Amino acid sequence: MKLTELFAKGTFVFTGEVGPVKGCSRVNGGPPPEFVQEALSIKDYVHAVNVTDNQSAVMRLGALAASVLVKQAGVEPIFQITCRDRNRLALQSELMSACTLGIDNVLCLTGDHIRLGDHVSAKPVFDVDSVQLLKIAKGLNEGRDMVGNPLTQPTDLALGAVVNPGFEPLDLQLLKMEKKIEQGAQFFQTQAVYDPIIFETFIKKAEQFKVPIMYGLLVVKSPKMAQFINENVSGITVPKWLIRELESVAPQGRKEKALEISLRLAKEMAPMVQGIHFMPLGWSDLIPPIVKELRG
Amino acid sequence: MIGTTKKPLEEVLAALAPYRKVAVVGCDGCAKICQTGGVDEVAQLARTLEAHGKEIVFEATPERTCNVAKSDPILKPLTDKIQEADALLVLGCGGAVQITRYLTEQYGLTKPVKVGLNSVGHLDTVVPGAVAMEECSDCGECVLNDTGGICPVTRCAKSLLNGPCGGAEGGKCEVDHNRDCAWILIYERLKALGETDKLKRFMEPKDFSKMAKPRTLYIKEGRVAS
Ligand code: SF4
Ligand code: SF4
Repeated sequence: MKLTELFAKGTFVFTGEVGPVKGCSRVNGGPPPEFVQEALSIKDYVHAVNVTDNQSAVMRLGALAASVLVKQAGVEPIFQITCRDRNRLALQSELMSACTLGIDNVLCLTGDHIRLGDHVSAKPVFDVDSVQLLKIAKGLNEGRDMVGNPLTQPTDLALGAVVNPGFEPLDLQLLKMEKKIEQGAQFFQTQAVYDPIIFETFIKKAEQFKVPIMYGLLVVKSPKMAQFINENVSGITVPKWLIRELESVAPQGRKEKALEISLRLAKEMAPMVQGIHFMPLGWSDLIPPIVKELRG
Repeated sequence: MIGTTKKPLEEVLAALAPYRKVAVVGCDGCAKICQTGGVDEVAQLARTLEAHGKEIVFEATPERTCNVAKSDPILKPLTDKIQEADALLVLGCGGAVQITRYLTEQYGLTKPVKVGLNSVGHLDTVVPGAVAMEECSDCGECVLNDTGGICPVTRCAKSLLNGPCGGAEGGKCEVDHNRDCAWILIYERLKALGETDKLKRFMEPKDFSKMAKPRTLYIKEGRVAS
């Protein structure tokens, strides 16, 4: 099921996110791999689940294979594809493979730089950027490759993109968002942002584009993680109030606190958007109570 | 210019280990600016090599060793001396080494030509004698007219053409927090010029065939072929 169809029906869309394991996931009759189990655990609460692509430039099981496993388990995947590791042939080929294997949704990303991951001496590709990738993907949906050759059968993929509301200067990020829409982006998930005022400023300016936007909620699990994000994860800032709140409880109580904060953020942002995208980093069990509460 | 750094002495000595009589060829162009292969550095290394038991056959420092028109007039009169040498050591970029090799072949000589430097790339002097920075990747299809004279192909860590990734923080690049995000620089510059409209235009994927190696420049026709 394409997310675009849900948005068109006016559905408030929830999505989760899982990261493929670092290793082969052939199960040989055993239980499904962890990321599939995680996806299954939130099946009834989200419409789809992002499957990350060598996230943070750390080498893992391929996002396409993982997406297919998630789909086979009965959960709708959103296949993330980045420009970091593939040239334009590989990108197009991968998009056609995704559609062939039953994937309906892709999220077209630039990708974190290789310097941030676990294979720092690799050759970065970045043959095209995310805006160009969206245009290429749209072309495949229309039945031609990027140089104009016809395809035997077009792809049929809903095209998602990301935007960072916390980016400064915001206008520059909005210019890029607009370009993404012009080139084919049909919905957006936002980068993590915790300040409702910043988010509102962004939404007020982005509303004019009339595309569905999903608020990206990255669950902050501990003060240590907040500090790590602030020091190492580019483009995201965890505010002091959130860190202080997490610090105010003993480690055993952190999960409950994280739930409380996430619920509050979700409630505050929900009226401004067409959906919420959860990035729970393994704490997917926080998603059901939040979704239940929001669904009322 | 082509940026170069000195190879560690041990590495140079290892490369020259089989040879006793050595000719040292520098480059008084880029390598001089990088303080790696001008007249002074050539003399300095020659003395060091002597201290390590080498016999220096000659020292020469063409103005631009990568340019045949500059290096041939210096090296050709030295053909006999080159003949005498067991090897040539070039303190220049990889291009200088290969042009030196090419010339020795032209003179009918088969001599080992070794490199004493590491080539870093096309860099531009920012602080003379101290800092040079890569500002252009020689992509063959310059976009500077549309980007306020700041190159995203080179200065953006991801070579993005249609605006920034979401990773910049405090104006700095996600890859190196000491470096400005190229796209924010471009934005500020275009804003100052009143040309932010240029940012709205979609830039097509780059034609990397223009960067396919090796490229040949036919100077008279003004034509590049690969
Ligand atoms: S676009 Fe950048 S890399 Fe290409 S020629 Fe111009 S300055 Fe050089
Ligand atoms: S932060 Fe700026 S310079 Fe660095 S990769 Fe992203 S867009 Fe390029």
